[in-house]
Amino acid sequence: MPDEPEAPAGSSGQDDPARRVRIPVTSIRADAPQFQIAAKNPRRAELVASSGFLLAAAGFAGFGAAYWQNYSNFWLALTFSVGFAGLGYGMVVWGRYLMPRGPFSESRHSLVPTTAQREAFVQDFASRGKVAVERRGFLVKTLGFASGILGVVLAFPLLRSLGPLPGKTLRQTAWRRGSYLVDITGRKIKTGDLEVGGFITVFPETDIGGAYSQTMLIRVDPPPASGYLTPPPQFAKQRKTWAPQGYIAFSKVCTHAGCPVGLYEELTKQMLCPCHQSLFDVTDAAIPIFGPAPRPLPQLPLYIDDEGYFRAQDGYDEPVGPGYWERGND
Amino acid sequence: MIDALFNWFDERLGISGSGRKMLNKIFPDHWSFLIGEIALYSFIVLLGTGVFLTLYFVPSSKDVIYEGSYAPLRGQPVSEAFASTLNLSFAVRGGLLMRQMHHWAANIFVGSIVVHMLRIFFTGAFRKPRELNWIVGSTLLILAIFNGFLGYSLPDDLVSGTGIRISFSIVESIPLIGSYAAFFLFGGNFPGNSIIPRFFILHVLILPAVIVGLLGAHLGMLVRQKHTQFPGRGNTPRNVVGAPLWPTFAAKTTGFMCLTVAVTGVLSALFQINPVWLYGPYVPYKVSYAVQPDWYMGWLDGALRIMPSWEIVGFGHMIPNVFFPAILLPGITFGVLQAWPFIEARITHDHAEHQILDRPRDRPKRTAFGAAVFSFYFVLFGASATDVLANYLSISLNVVLTSFRFLAIAVPLIVFPVTYRICKEMQRVPTAGKRKRANVVLRSTEGGYTTVRAEERPGDAIPRVDPLPLDEEIEFVPVMAGVLVAGDGSGEEPEPGSPAESQTSRPRGGIFRIPRVYR
Amino acid sequence: MSFALLVSASFVGVFLLGAGRGDVSAGGVSSGVNAASLTSQDDPTAASQLAAGRTLFVQNCSSCHGIDASGSDRAPPLLGVGGATVDLWLSSGWMPLAEPTAEPERKPAKFDRAEVLDIVRYVTSLAPSFGNPGVPFGLDISRADVAEGFSLFALNCAPCHTITGAGDALAGGIQAPPLHGVTKTMVWEAVRTGPGNMPRFGPGTLSPAQVTDIVGYVVKNIQHPVSPGGLSLGGVGPVAEGFVGLFVGVGACLLAALWVGDRTETEEDDEQEDRDGHDDGPGGNDKRELAHA
Repeated sequence: MPDEPEAPAGSSGQDDPARRVRIPVTSIRADAPQFQIAAKNPRRAELVASSGFLLAAAGFAGFGAAYWQNYSNFWLALTFSVGFAGLGYGMVVWGRYLMPRGPFSESRHSLVPTTAQREAFVQDFASRGKVAVERRGFLVKTLGFASGILGVVLAFPLLRSLGPLPGKTLRQTAWRRGSYLVDITGRKIKTGDLEVGGFITVFPETDIGGAYSQTMLIRVDPPPASGYLTPPPQFAKQRKTWAPQGYIAFSKVCTHAGCPVGLYEELTKQMLCPCHQSLFDVTDAAIPIFGPAPRPLPQLPLYIDDEGYFRAQDGYDEPVGPGYWERGND
Repeated sequence: MIDALFNWFDERLGISGSGRKMLNKIFPDHWSFLIGEIALYSFIVLLGTGVFLTLYFVPSSKDVIYEGSYAPLRGQPVSEAFASTLNLSFAVRGGLLMRQMHHWAANIFVGSIVVHMLRIFFTGAFRKPRELNWIVGSTLLILAIFNGFLGYSLPDDLVSGTGIRISFSIVESIPLIGSYAAFFLFGGNFPGNSIIPRFFILHVLILPAVIVGLLGAHLGMLVRQKHTQFPGRGNTPRNVVGAPLWPTFAAKTTGFMCLTVAVTGVLSALFQINPVWLYGPYVPYKVSYAVQPDWYMGWLDGALRIMPSWEIVGFGHMIPNVFFPAILLPGITFGVLQAWPFIEARITHDHAEHQILDRPRDRPKRTAFGAAVFSFYFVLFGASATDVLANYLSISLNVVLTSFRFLAIAVPLIVFPVTYRICKEMQRVPTAGKRKRANVVLRSTEGGYTTVRAEERPGDAIPRVDPLPLDEEIEFVPVMAGVLVAGDGSGEEPEPGSPAESQTSRPRGGIFRIPRVYR
Repeated sequence: MSFALLVSASFVGVFLLGAGRGDVSAGGVSSGVNAASLTSQDDPTAASQLAAGRTLFVQNCSSCHGIDASGSDRAPPLLGVGGATVDLWLSSGWMPLAEPTAEPERKPAKFDRAEVLDIVRYVTSLAPSFGNPGVPFGLDISRADVAEGFSLFALNCAPCHTITGAGDALAGGIQAPPLHGVTKTMVWEAVRTGPGNMPRFGPGTLSPAQVTDIVGYVVKNIQHPVSPGGLSLGGVGPVAEGFVGLFVGVGACLLAALWVGDRTETEEDDEQEDRDGHDDGPGGNDKRELAHA
């Protein structure tokens, strides 16, 4: 037990024991207008607030019952909300109408330090710090050297361990020369499986369900006289045999942002990407004619083998999907 | 008993000393100061419901066969993340409620941050000395948006999984480091098995920790610098006028928190959100139409849709199309946003301290600029829903898209001068925007008309008074001076000179002793 | 007009397809029931049923499709299209058009079921159906595997119709319609015949069991979705959720804030300030604050 009253009250240091006792006092009086409550009818306001709390009690009890009886989400949520709404209503009514209505104020002192404070700070910081680093250039530099190396090598576990380097992964799919076109169950697709105006999602038999090897096989037309669908002029030579018997295959990975281009419009012969509505013209090497896609969908060169199954002449001749820095003009 | 407890802590932590400042802390009464609290309390809801969800959610991409109660998925291979989300929705009692409250609270969280940011912007609260708080706040917005994206992607459903695919492409599009960054983030090529667990730990640990830290800094600066306030009766740059923390503000803010929770609960009762069982699991070769991200990512999706199909190719390298709307646009957006206090200070040559807020109409240029920029992003939001709008309004999709490209430029150009004019007009009319008392028109039986002022609203009938300053320095008076003294309720004055009169550090009668002056 | 041409083109295609088909499709046959078996089933009154269909056809369809269903410059020929196509277009209300130049839109069917089947019988009696499917009588989805159906639906149907079957707008004014309010027969027929821009899923692409599964999923789960969380907001996902979250959620919280907090000064305060002699309205009492107004 403290033997002096100095600790809390701050003594004036005078000897007179009576004068040494000082007691905190405030200038605020209970009859100040800011201390009055706002409600004109406090009793009524109290009843209103209490009714909010009673409603909250009912709500929470209801929540307990709803939980116990495994009622639906609707009842759980409703009772929960009624509870909190009642609680909130009561608290706000209490706070607005049954508490000192104010307003009160407090002083705002500038946070800008005085010159003296700043000087004192700088003095303490710099004076002792100066002793530490003056003429210790070598010491500071070696610390910097060590920290620099730490900073660099931290990137190794924090970054490099996260994943493999991309390497050539993005440039190649699993399609190879001779790959069968199979559906998601692994069934090989052959001529006649599709109706004119039909499509099917296909994969190479080595990568069924592959995110990058997914391909749309579309039967655009009945078998044309020449045996192949005519490619647009700029591909007339290289894609001449890519679309046999009216069938054509394009990568399903959109060249804009990678979504599967699963929409095929049979009459307009266009593929629409559902994400950002890029529209690709199937009769024109899947060149985008609308929307944000910047490049055509890569086309898979097809041929039909002796048994009537569809197979790839080769993999895609360019990387599929969206662009990236190293893609250049592939 | 509470007295004893309080004394116990008080003697060890010195609460009475510094705690008094907290009791007397003033919060301005204006309703717009509560918008930040909507964000704070919805964040509390997120934390509470989020803890519940972490107890059941399994952050794993491993395939399992779903054997739960939802028939259209029974027997189908789904990821553990998806299966655990279905488990939460159907099998865990209260699980669907927690999921829905969590998701609705997230929408309200980001929405209220945006509204709060607009209030700060249009009233100029970001000016010196609060630039740092503005930067912290805009960082919180970015983190909230990003954490929301991570959160709704966790169930690994068809709709959010498509969003993850798009985000892979966006990261990939960064020049120089894109493919490396994408492979590092995903632990390999898309889709891989790492992204769900990594999103999970980012979503429940790393980002919430950063958000809580920044929130602490945000509120801490607020306490240190004190609130700004609108010009008003008794308001000066040297004070803060309003309600003290104890008891008024404590009651009002607790009540407001309960109301925010109640709003979230009502939404969870009435409106279904993110029904992932209807979407099915994410499979890389499947996709749905009408796939939009959650609304706070909508501006990015809209930008992706209306961006023309430009791509830069040269010297064996490429800057892909998605870089411009998905990396460059947000980079510029958030960069300008963070730097705005300094940009405005440079433009207006105003480097003074500001503690009193502007009314938006009094700063027509800033208000018009903010409104125009906001309308640009609003158009981008709308552009995210091109297909849904085209369907709903029976207009061709092509027409809708082209219109949005046009609107993205035209709308801000129209909004700026219109807003400027409105501000100028409002300045001319002193009562513009003030709530007025109605004039009731009465018709007498003879047919004549008279007007009468309507009755005052109960809330308005409270006469305003000047603010009462709360003492900061404790004023001490010696007992001998005969000044009315804080007594102990017994009605007796201590005998001068008697031992009983000696003050000890223990206040007589405890913390609930009401001084006579207040009785 | 251009739509009509496109539709004509598709029908011509169907024509030629039927002519070219020689091989039996993989996976079984259920390709619906065509005119021949229809009329033979209802043998005694065959002629009068055809007559009823003929009357309806002449009154409602022949003005565009020709008196002998061989088409005109306004409408494609209907010879050999198969009962499923005729049934679907009539049941969905696409046909007859509201007016000759209108686009086909879903509306209540003009004919009741019996009349539709009469017309189907009549049209399919005019020419062989070249393997185009007929009306799938006896389509039984009671044992449809809805899980399989869901998976197939997500792969083949969701990209246009959305995963919840809400329908959406494709490019160029085309719409993939919502899948609510359609019968199981209509779903089957749409999948097999690929009306308009919808692709065709023949027996080589989707087996009869798979189509049954898809139809079962659509009728059971698309049309009666499990929605324990509340109103489904149209099934369009985040767009509607965003609206509700912002305008209802944040809006309600803002309304609460308006109640909990104070408004700026009212007219009353101005009058009171005039009485008290203060002038603390907008502009504060520190004029330096607004030096840059």
